[in-house]
Amino acid sequence: MNQLTRISPVSDAEAGRLVRPGTLAGLAERIIVEPPVQDAAWGVSVSGRLRSAKRRRWVLAVPLAAALAVAGLVLTSVGQRVGPVSVGPPAAQALSFSRHGGEITVLVRDPLADPAAYRAEFARHHLRISLKLLPVSPSLVGTVVYIGQSAGADITPITARGRCWTGGGGAACPVGVRIPAGFRGSAQLVFGRAARAGERYESTTSAFAVGEVMHGMRARGLTVSQVLALLRGRGVSVPVFNYLRPGGARSARHVPGRWFVYDATPWAPGEVMLFVGPARTQPPMGAPQPVSSAAPVPSPTPTG
Amino acid sequence: MPSPPLTARHERQHRFEAVYAAHHAPILGYLLRRTDNPDDAADVLAETFLTAWRRLDDVPAGPDARLWLYGVARRVLANYHRGQRRRLALADRLRADLAVSYRPPEYTGELAQIAGAYRRLPAGEREVLALSAWEGLGHGEIAVVLDCSRNAVRIRLHRARKRFAGELAAGQARSQSAEAGVHVANGDLA
Repeated sequence: MNQLTRISPVSDAEAGRLVRPGTLAGLAERIIVEPPVQDAAWGVSVSGRLRSAKRRRWVLAVPLAAALAVAGLVLTSVGQRVGPVSVGPPAAQALSFSRHGGEITVLVRDPLADPAAYRAEFARHHLRISLKLLPVSPSLVGTVVYIGQSAGADITPITARGRCWTGGGGAACPVGVRIPAGFRGSAQLVFGRAARAGERYESTTSAFAVGEVMHGMRARGLTVSQVLALLRGRGVSVPVFNYLRPGGARSARHVPGRWFVYDATPWAPGEVMLFVGPARTQPPMGAPQPVSSAAPVPSPTPTG
Repeated sequence: MPSPPLTARHERQHRFEAVYAAHHAPILGYLLRRTDNPDDAADVLAETFLTAWRRLDDVPAGPDARLWLYGVARRVLANYHRGQRRRLALADRLRADLAVSYRPPEYTGELAQIAGAYRRLPAGEREVLALSAWEGLGHGEIAVVLDCSRNAVRIRLHRARKRFAGELAAGQARSQSAEAGVHVANGDLA
């Protein structure tokens, strides 16, 4: 069996990092607007019956590597240039710890603090919790982007409902974590930090969210040329376009200016990725765009 | 008929969010380990969680939810392997991300031999071995995913390991005879 583990193509943790949290949040958001009852015509292929919950109860816990979908935080719409001055208490307190019954509650007080300050505070509370900061789009600065933990550990996110513009399937905005008192396991937490110029975001929400560069802009349904002109007015550039073609999604540096814009996602400071296609409206579920017949190869750079 | 109270809908969303947050990475990992096509992985992930949303009352609480999700993902993926693909608009961004971020590994040398031996196994034996080696599941957990008895899992695993070892040995022998004179490192494979 050791041989087989050597050819495992990807670990769960690696898989979690392949998709940006903004993408994951968007998927959950689109799923929960579907009708909850199963539609017979929909025909999902769950043929066999799974065992009852009662029968399953004896199964031992499997290792838990929980990852959080990230949500936009309305309160951080001040953007990434504000700095620590108006965003919280002095840097001496990067995190706040409080004990309620059998749990320690940890909230981010200063999303712009040096990671060393966070680590020091966990160590002071005798918690084996490592911490990492990843560059995120402006509205996500200071939120929890990922929780990884050892088997049996039970760290849960604290969400601030209603503070999010969009989020991991609803209005749940992860702003801290709850750790059981006497926590003996190990865990890794990832918080969002402001990105440096030219640095690609590791986690994003919609480019139209409050605090993001396309907030308030009506771009969906316009042509690529029209949207590029609007973006130039805001000093925003588009390093990559994404479009569907039979067989899957493709990325390109240039697409025809007459194509249409369906959606946008933050890419790096002052940059967005546009989701585009040759049809005015995005094709319905399950129908790939006829890219091959309508526009063979995306080539010319759009001109305003 | 009045519409259901808003709180019930919120509660349902909240439950789904918790399942999704805890299990999307393991389910994506499960899928990427079983298909060379990241587009399929994206669509099956979307379809699996769409099923979870629609059948939320059937999803068990706690870590057992993952076993339930593995079961759904396995069935949906089986349909994809039979050629019944559904490209979901839901999964467009996911496909876009994976198209940029993921390339299935290409194995050479000793690892290629292991991968070849694994691929030559029947699908059912591959799955039981993978659930044990890659997902790290115990016999009882595999029984839940495959909807069979624990004893059946024990027997299938035993048979699969035996056949895998046989395929590995046969592959090595073929390789050694084909590359006569070329040293093939097989260190700990014996």
